[in-house]
Amino acid sequence: MSSTTVPSLQVVGGRRWLARARDVAGVERELSRIWAAAAHDVEASGDERELEAARGEPHLAGRLDRAGDVRVRMRTSVLTLLVVAPRPETAERALDAINVLATRHPSRAVVLAPGDLDGPSRFEAQIFAQCLVPARGAVETCTEQIVVGCGGELAQHLAELVTPLLIHDLPVVLWWPDDPPIGRGQFGELVEEADRMLVDSGTFRDDGALRLVALDEVVRAGRTTVFDVGWLRLALWRELLAGLFDHPLLTPELPTLRSLRIDVAKPGSTLRTAKAALFAGWLAARLGWRLVEPLAARHGAAFPGAMFRSEHGLVHLEIRAAAPGSDPALRSPGSLARVELELGRRGHDVRARVTRQADHLLATADWQGVQVCRRAGRLEHFGDAPYLAEALDRGAPDRVFEAALAQASLLVGAAA
Amino acid sequence: MTTAARAPRQSPPKGRPRTPSPAPNPLRAGLRLERVPEPCTIVIFGGTGDLSHRRILPALYNLRHAGLLPSETTVLAFARREYDDAAYRAEMEQAVETYSRVPVEPALWQDFAPAIRYQAGDFADPASYQALADRLEAIDAERGTRGNRLFYLATQPSAYTQIVAGLGKAGLARPDRGSWARVIIEKPFGRDLESAIALNREVTRVFDEEQVYRIDHYLGKETVRNLMVFRFGNGIFEPIWNRRYVDHVQVTVAEDLGVEGRGQFYEEAGASRDILQNHLLTLLALVAMEPPIAFEAQAVRDEKLRVLRAIDPQWSEARIRRDVVRGQYGAGWVGGTAVPAYRDEPEVAPTSTTETFVALKLEVQNWRWAEVPFYLRTGKRLPKRATEISVQFKRPPLMLFREAASEPEPNLLALRIQPDEGIMLRFAAKVPELGLDVRSVNMDFTYGSSFATEAPEAYETLLLDAMLGDASLFTRADEVEAAWGIVTPLDETWASWDHAGHDEDLERYEAGTWGPQAADRLLERDGRRWRRL
Repeated sequence: MSSTTVPSLQVVGGRRWLARARDVAGVERELSRIWAAAAHDVEASGDERELEAARGEPHLAGRLDRAGDVRVRMRTSVLTLLVVAPRPETAERALDAINVLATRHPSRAVVLAPGDLDGPSRFEAQIFAQCLVPARGAVETCTEQIVVGCGGELAQHLAELVTPLLIHDLPVVLWWPDDPPIGRGQFGELVEEADRMLVDSGTFRDDGALRLVALDEVVRAGRTTVFDVGWLRLALWRELLAGLFDHPLLTPELPTLRSLRIDVAKPGSTLRTAKAALFAGWLAARLGWRLVEPLAARHGAAFPGAMFRSEHGLVHLEIRAAAPGSDPALRSPGSLARVELELGRRGHDVRARVTRQADHLLATADWQGVQVCRRAGRLEHFGDAPYLAEALDRGAPDRVFEAALAQASLLVGAAA
Repeated sequence: MTTAARAPRQSPPKGRPRTPSPAPNPLRAGLRLERVPEPCTIVIFGGTGDLSHRRILPALYNLRHAGLLPSETTVLAFARREYDDAAYRAEMEQAVETYSRVPVEPALWQDFAPAIRYQAGDFADPASYQALADRLEAIDAERGTRGNRLFYLATQPSAYTQIVAGLGKAGLARPDRGSWARVIIEKPFGRDLESAIALNREVTRVFDEEQVYRIDHYLGKETVRNLMVFRFGNGIFEPIWNRRYVDHVQVTVAEDLGVEGRGQFYEEAGASRDILQNHLLTLLALVAMEPPIAFEAQAVRDEKLRVLRAIDPQWSEARIRRDVVRGQYGAGWVGGTAVPAYRDEPEVAPTSTTETFVALKLEVQNWRWAEVPFYLRTGKRLPKRATEISVQFKRPPLMLFREAASEPEPNLLALRIQPDEGIMLRFAAKVPELGLDVRSVNMDFTYGSSFATEAPEAYETLLLDAMLGDASLFTRADEVEAAWGIVTPLDETWASWDHAGHDEDLERYEAGTWGPQAADRLLERDGRRWRRL
């Protein structure tokens, strides 16, 4: 491939650079030009001590710190982030999140926007670099963003396209915000390049079963550490439910759980069960249940159910559509609305539930009809940034998630 | 072998059964970081004081806001003033509105307010503690706090022993089976070695050491962890972290502020008691310590203690004159503002000899550090607020670049703790485009600013840790005593000189400068100089 036009390099404001390229080699060339320009970009700070220190050595002007030492401008990259965003609005969302995290996780971000796969081959890249000063008096950190629009045959070979753009030695994080084609060829090739992967089981198509099973296979392959936004969003649900069972009266009752009902939001026609399956999978993994009957529509029942066996006996699971309410928070399909547990044997009855109420979760537990424990927590309306941060922060796999996913995959296996 | 090393240093006295650990909750796995403490009653002694207004209540509200405080948890203020619950609540609402990190939400406050209670009582009156015990039982029954108690001593230090003894007599230090009782004690913990030992003795007569949480709020968890991760999470620094490669270490805790209306307190304390005894010595201990056997409270504190014990506590007058500089600020300019001299500050005696600056040279006498000087300095009204540790390495054995225009400075590694946490490495590099000019280059790394969430206040972290029973950020009795063991002889010698009218060593420095010139001479004598900050 060769560059067809002379790429333009312009300085936007003091510490930002923009360039364009028509091929991968062009991208690499532009990046070197940008960093060479950055090193020579002299900004007169007006600091008298600095000016004095540089007196007689004009080539050092603007590059000395207060003590008169030469300051090195550093590109403190910690990883390469690959984002696949076929839809423009997704690409924009991803860039927002990346910018929020720029100073915390200085990285090279490559946003791939594959378009029409059947059209002509095309490649156009926008290269954006910036140096930010995170706080007053702090040292600037520099980051790079490369947005690649591509189509045709080229877009079917994304892995080959990005390999030259990865930073040597640093971990690669793959983020696929929309419904990722897990298990398909193109996806598999990209995953092979990645050390960590972030997906959102909340956006999996149809009921989510197919993707959940495929995701579990990626985890089992053991090469890539998987993070799931859907799972991370369940953290407060898990936290509050676990909190109820910190109560000394209730902890010993956990093994006696016999019924689990999960209500999920169903604004459309399909009941998305991925998140509910992950939640049930989490309980199954933590409490050592074995699947007896996978999730399936049951004769005469309106909603799918499943059955596990615990050391105390059978555990019934039912996933239901939440009563359509006016709560706008429940418009996101598959979101949990309520979790209800029945426990206790031999003469006493224990119920525990976590319910979504607007922007709060309320968890309560009753012992023979008397409330013994109550917890509440606020659901934060996060954008993507905190979840992306989780994938960027944590190198180590989340074993609790992996165990929950394995159980969830078994649970929905028949449906997939 | 490891079993023996991990054994607790202080076993509980006979006849007091340890609380059996509750059955584990299998759902907790992977959720540890977001652990919510068990419900408890937080009893604040001195609940009408400044600390309660500015720090404790706002921190508790913020914890509640973050969902980290169970709704049963109750705050019971205990002080002399005659308030009722409603009046105290109203006052605290004001305080939280003024000082809280997050804005107060009326709905959440309505939920939180009933958890705030007030109990009037006299610290000296045994009947007050009995009334407190009755009130706590009533609260347990009403609010479900399960007999868990966190006593917070936010009073004048002089009241500590009285309160602890009162709690002991009322049986409040010995919780029922399955419950816990802990006590948080604020700095200053004693004012010299003798008073610290006496206080420790009184406190441990009533509480077991593991029930006692001595606050050193200065050490936010981040800083401590960063230092430890930097040293023990990287393989390339530890091999050179010793007397073969390190020339010397400097620790600076500089403040641009003066005494800020705390003249009376500062007259009693001075820089050595206020900063040297705790902050400076803790930073020194963290830099100099051996790798702990585990990253947990006891193991880390064991290693810190070993460093403090390796510092020679014998201060002859000659050694003090040679290795210690004390100073007091005069009038001057700080950050473009004219500021008065220390002796002209409110509540300060016009003839005061209290030191507002200390610089000293210490040696950690062990195999790793023998003959490597540690230079420590702290002061008020210095040009800026900065806390930094710097490790200066030895020069290369042979200088090859004789024709270079300037000789580069030796390598230096700076660990910046505030204002911006970061790490700086200085090395020599050739200046391009010129003949052969070798210059020092600073490679500067700053931990990025945080995103989406705001960092919690130190008090939030500490209160939460105390409720969870995590003592890593608190100081152990033997650490406090070892630190006082180093500082007290100094203070006593100075006091004796002052008493005899020989305070010539107390050097005046202009506010807004880096302290008295004697502090510079302390290093120049050894052929070194303070870093420019």
